[in-house]
Amino acid sequence: MFDITQLLDEIKASPYEEIVVTAPHTGVVTFADVREGARVIGPSGTWKEKKGTLLATIERERNQKPIHAVEKGEVKEVLRHLEGTFVEAGTPLVRLRHFLSRDEVLAIILKKALHLFVAPERAKYYFAPDVDKKVKASGPRSVSLHEGMDLFIMSRMKREAGLAYSGPSGVIYAVYFQHNENVDAGQPLIGVCPPDQLSLIEDVVARVQTEWEERE
Amino acid sequence: MQTKDHKVLVANRGEIAIRIVQACRKLGLAFTCVYTAEDAASGHVRIARELGGDKSLCRVSSYHDANELMAVADDAGATAVHPGYGFFAEDYRFARRVSQRDRKLIFIGPSWRVIRELGDKINTKRLARSLGVPTVPGSDRPIYDEMEAEKVAQSLFEFQEQQGIRKPLVLVKASAGGGGMGIEEVYDIDLFRSVYRRIRNYALRQFKDEGVLIEQRIRDFNHLEVQVVSDRSGRNPVHFGTRNCSIQSTGLQKRVEIAPGFDPSSIEYGFDAAQVLRDITNHSLAMARKVGYDNVGTWEWIVTRDGRPFLMEVNTRIQVENGVSATIARVRGQKGVDLIAEQIRIGLGEPLGYGQEDITFEGVGVEYRLIAEDPDNRFTPWVGRVDGFGWPERPWLAMHTHVPSDDPYDIPTEFDPNLALAIIWGKDLAEARERGVEFLDTLVLEGANNAGEPLRSNVRFLRDNTGRILKF
Amino acid sequence: MDTEKRTQHLAERLGYIRDVFGGKHNENIALLESKLQEFNLRLSEGSISDENAALTTLEDLFDFVERKLEAELTPMDKVRIVRHPQRICLRDILENVYDNFTEIGGKDEHSIDPSMLIARAYITRRSGKKTINQPVLVIGQEKGHGEEFRNGGSVKPWGNAKALQYMKVAETEGIPIHTYVFTPGSYPVEDYPGAAQQIARNLYEMAGLRVPVIAVFSEGGSGGAEAIGLADRRLMLSHGYYSVISPEGGAAIEGRLRQGQRAAPELIEKCAQQLRITAEDNLRMGYIDHVVTEPPLGARPYHYDFFRGLRQEIIRATDEVILGVKGFAPFRAMVLRRRRGKAETMDLDNMYVRWSLSASAKDRLVGRRHRKFNRLARNAARDRRPVLRKLSNMGWDAWWDIYSYFKYDLLRKHQQKIAYLVEEVEAEAQVLMEKVAAPWRKITCALPGGSCQSSEETERELTTLSDWDEEGQRNGNWSYVSPRAKEDRAITCPNAATHGCLDLWAPDLFGEFAGVCTYCGHHFPMEYQWYLHNVFDEGSIFEFNAEIEAGNPLGFEGFDVKLEQAKKQTGLKSGCVTFEARIDNVKLVVAMLVAPFRGGSVGAAEALPLPGLRARHRRHPHPGRHQRRHPDAPLHHGRAPLHRGRGPVPGAVRHQFVRRAAGQLPRLLALPVLHPFGQHRLRRAGRHQGDHGRGHPAGLPPGLSRPVARAHPRHLGPPRRARQPEAGPSDHGRPQPLLPVARATARNR
Repeated sequence: MFDITQLLDEIKASPYEEIVVTAPHTGVVTFADVREGARVIGPSGTWKEKKGTLLATIERERNQKPIHAVEKGEVKEVLRHLEGTFVEAGTPLVRLRHFLSRDEVLAIILKKALHLFVAPERAKYYFAPDVDKKVKASGPRSVSLHEGMDLFIMSRMKREAGLAYSGPSGVIYAVYFQHNENVDAGQPLIGVCPPDQLSLIEDVVARVQTEWEERE
Repeated sequence: MQTKDHKVLVANRGEIAIRIVQACRKLGLAFTCVYTAEDAASGHVRIARELGGDKSLCRVSSYHDANELMAVADDAGATAVHPGYGFFAEDYRFARRVSQRDRKLIFIGPSWRVIRELGDKINTKRLARSLGVPTVPGSDRPIYDEMEAEKVAQSLFEFQEQQGIRKPLVLVKASAGGGGMGIEEVYDIDLFRSVYRRIRNYALRQFKDEGVLIEQRIRDFNHLEVQVVSDRSGRNPVHFGTRNCSIQSTGLQKRVEIAPGFDPSSIEYGFDAAQVLRDITNHSLAMARKVGYDNVGTWEWIVTRDGRPFLMEVNTRIQVENGVSATIARVRGQKGVDLIAEQIRIGLGEPLGYGQEDITFEGVGVEYRLIAEDPDNRFTPWVGRVDGFGWPERPWLAMHTHVPSDDPYDIPTEFDPNLALAIIWGKDLAEARERGVEFLDTLVLEGANNAGEPLRSNVRFLRDNTGRILKF
Repeated sequence: MDTEKRTQHLAERLGYIRDVFGGKHNENIALLESKLQEFNLRLSEGSISDENAALTTLEDLFDFVERKLEAELTPMDKVRIVRHPQRICLRDILENVYDNFTEIGGKDEHSIDPSMLIARAYITRRSGKKTINQPVLVIGQEKGHGEEFRNGGSVKPWGNAKALQYMKVAETEGIPIHTYVFTPGSYPVEDYPGAAQQIARNLYEMAGLRVPVIAVFSEGGSGGAEAIGLADRRLMLSHGYYSVISPEGGAAIEGRLRQGQRAAPELIEKCAQQLRITAEDNLRMGYIDHVVTEPPLGARPYHYDFFRGLRQEIIRATDEVILGVKGFAPFRAMVLRRRRGKAETMDLDNMYVRWSLSASAKDRLVGRRHRKFNRLARNAARDRRPVLRKLSNMGWDAWWDIYSYFKYDLLRKHQQKIAYLVEEVEAEAQVLMEKVAAPWRKITCALPGGSCQSSEETERELTTLSDWDEEGQRNGNWSYVSPRAKEDRAITCPNAATHGCLDLWAPDLFGEFAGVCTYCGHHFPMEYQWYLHNVFDEGSIFEFNAEIEAGNPLGFEGFDVKLEQAKKQTGLKSGCVTFEARIDNVKLVVAMLVAPFRGGSVGAAEALPLPGLRARHRRHPHPGRHQRRHPDAPLHHGRAPLHRGRGPVPGAVRHQFVRRAAGQLPRLLALPVLHPFGQHRLRRAGRHQGDHGRGHPAGLPPGLSRPVARAHPRHLGPPRRARQPEAGPSDHGRPQPLLPVARATARNR
């Protein structure tokens, strides 16, 4: 199948990821007291209810909106020259260096281990109503898939079309799309785990859990 | 404030944004455009960069976010907002916000009260009835209850049977929808429930409102429009003639528009076509006067084979096909009418400056909507890259497009894959048809998608349908 | 061996004293410590001649110091006592007070909620030569001695539901219920069914239980205590506490602490003082009936005398309740009265009182209970109605009773029957007519110019389907517009991150959308005036009980000032506004809790009108409650319907309020209460609807580390027509009584 040890080693070789925090929309930026080299944390708490470190505030139409760090990491750059100016949507504000967490590593490896069902076209995807009900009620792993099953609604240019599943039978092990965002053609929508591979996948999970050390 | 001192925020994208920019330049106005990251290759971005002055372009998170537009307007010092069509064009709340916020802007469109009055199909229907304007039989308010919906459908079937209609049809449409989206026909009451539920769910997803309208589906009709223009006084609306938009996709979206609406001089109709055109323009102007309509707008009508017109709805905005009316219109005999420029001019408060008697019409105009879609496959949108796009310049041809002809262009999936509008003028119907075919035959439109499949467009469909224009 | 045990025991006692006083009285503790150490040292050296005597001396010293310290206990010390792992727990009581017991409803970890313990126990008594086993049902929170799975006696909603279920069993069996309150408060579960909701349900049911209920309070913390505390006789252990809120909680509010911050010990100590939480305070205020004396520094499992005393007390309390409502038992009641206060000499085991009641005695029992708790509430709030008004009100009420009887009870019964009959006949006739007329209609329609409807007429009918209710629309305007609707600014929905809501313009949001996010349906809190003016028919509101004023029954320092401020700021006298009003001409009696008045929390003054509402409604029966609504129309929890074209339809918003009120009645009681809480059997809601927290921050459900893609955003409820078709009583099966008492909570920012 694939070599998990090698994969892990590869990731260990470059365990960082640069995160660029951008302006979510237009507005006047005020930076919080963050310096280059400072450590920031992402959302925490049982339900991620505690926000991450405050990086900046952006004000638009007299509405101040805080911009928090979404992951923990180290501040590499703060674009201070933007302080107090009106910025366009998507303007980079802060750059962070983020050390991959266990879950992220797991996600990377699972993407290789699972059978991926990819988006045939760039579109927004939704689960078909009955699948959606199941996913919401008892989580994606409660959905068992089989060839030809109505799985998605593909919404593109205001038109909607059904999309049937094709691939091995199994359960939805991972969901890779957000309901309101476009998915490019060829990007995975879900990761499917056939029942006979369930134990293998669980092994992978266990390995990552034990072998990957989280760093600040 | 002089009209020339204004700065217009172009709150739209693509072809209409370009036309608004061009109109602004014609009027000597400054402008500012917005775009989203996904839409960076659109022609309006390029034209804004080329022609715009200080702060003439700003990237925003979404065209749908009014806060973005207001923030950009303030930052760029805009004094007016042109919504184009789609997005906020018919959103009375947006118009209200624009004109009532602390830093007030001019909304280039009808006043928000008018938009609210006429934006509501139901209200429009009631207003029409109060003036004796005919409307289509069917529910005049959104229906949320399945039992009730079925009852209405049942009575519509019975009504049509009584009228001797052989295959009665009932139309189920999302009350919050528009532009041909979320509409389905039912030919059998037994199938009604499933269609009703489908539309209801669709409406809920797309428009967040379950309301459904149920109407008699009048088959075999022509889709006509009356272009109305009125200045801020709202007292003296004039019309810029009629258009025929009957050639549509299976999704009931317009593909070819012709001005005028009928041509009794060269085609025989089973009814008094000239009288019908007179009736619908008079009805439209009567309604415009009644509500104090104060900008450009379009009254949409359907005309049955026996010559009965019904009012469908009022579009309180400039429409895609405004150019085809302009191309046959003459103001005091002068060519070169630009309805968008007129809209901006009167929107900023100038009086119209001429009356109905000054407006005359000459020849026939045809507008083709060039769209990347597959007419053989229910007009499914085609997504990919446009590699080659070109056409020979003609004096009788006007092309409006945001697709660059010298660079490849990726069609964004966020929006309809409209590529261009081609407006053709002929001195009579025969010449217009001839020139239309000539244009389509000489047009170059090539491209491919990720899978390497060639671009699909509706050029063939447009050409095939050119022969039947204005025929009932 | 024995010596070792006894020294060990002394060491435990020492640790206990140290824990209880938390750093105070160090010299006494040091004394005991050194004496104990000295003894241990000498013991190991073998230099003690008479171990027993030395130990006894030492024990006497411990007793002496304990007695001495006893006099200096502060309320906060008592809090520490009841929370100490050495404190007696319910199992100790079951083993030592009762003669035999069986735990029911699951044992230890296998119980649905191990912090709620239910047992069927016996008390054996003698009557002459006969031995009689009297069964009782014992219900109480089990703190255990530090076991983690007991949750320290914090009961989850299902634990309280279990308790309620077994109370019903006891009621069926006709045996008395003994409840033991050992809880710091209920376990905060926000999701359905909700801690407060379940407590409210318990209160509601307990108010009508037709068996005697005796409660013993050791630790009575906030609402959790009330779940099983509504009793005919309420005893309290002398070292317990019984309070509306834990001292720490009170300190957090007083000190305006944010999450995670800790209050200073002095502040907590002060709050403990102020909250009047001790047994003496509670007895003085009348919240409990009797104090059971504990040994110095509180009862621990080895205080067997205490258990014996408790047994006598609990038997006597049960006897008293029984004899108090029994028709004939003058002699025994007299004995009980005479023996009061002589706990040591009393031996009730030899006097038999049969613990069962006749139907009429049960009625008296429930009536007494109601009176008892109503009295408590009335004493705690200030009723400033002039005496004459009170009297005339009573007279008026009496007249209403008579009038209502004739108008509604007597007439309605027959009216209903006649109405049903007419309906039946109509239905029959309909079928008959259809059969007869159908062929005829066919013929006439087929004939040209037949008597069939003309097509024009049909067309007109088809194009004028609606009876658009312009009045119901209020022309899209609200009668009261929030001041926030006048600010030109954008507002971010708290669900924006999860639901992708765009910012809303304040005038749209607070003006047109009634504070509802159009993207996700989140409810921004609206002013209570908004509800008053926009939910109910204009000009239909008639307030009553406005004179009832919030008071400060505990004498909490500074609270009077705060109350005065609240009264001045809001112009209200309490946080509960009660009024009669109409929605779509349906008459309602409404209690509204107003947030700007001390956060809308319920004290005695706020609660006092509530039982009265029911009484008022009974006196003024509103025909509206017999109307039946379309059962398919769902309730929109926390979502106002939005109509895309015109914004929310006020009529529809109002309509749903009527329905929502019906589902939420139990919530009337589900708020932090001052413990003396007027109980009255409130009519229960027709249908329970789990309300999923309106205005409650949308967190991810536990166990989901990443947001799961949703097929589509949470949808808004469909706009409903202002008027539902009047569904006849015979269709759609389940009748839906429209509840007459509505409640709306309004909050201000």
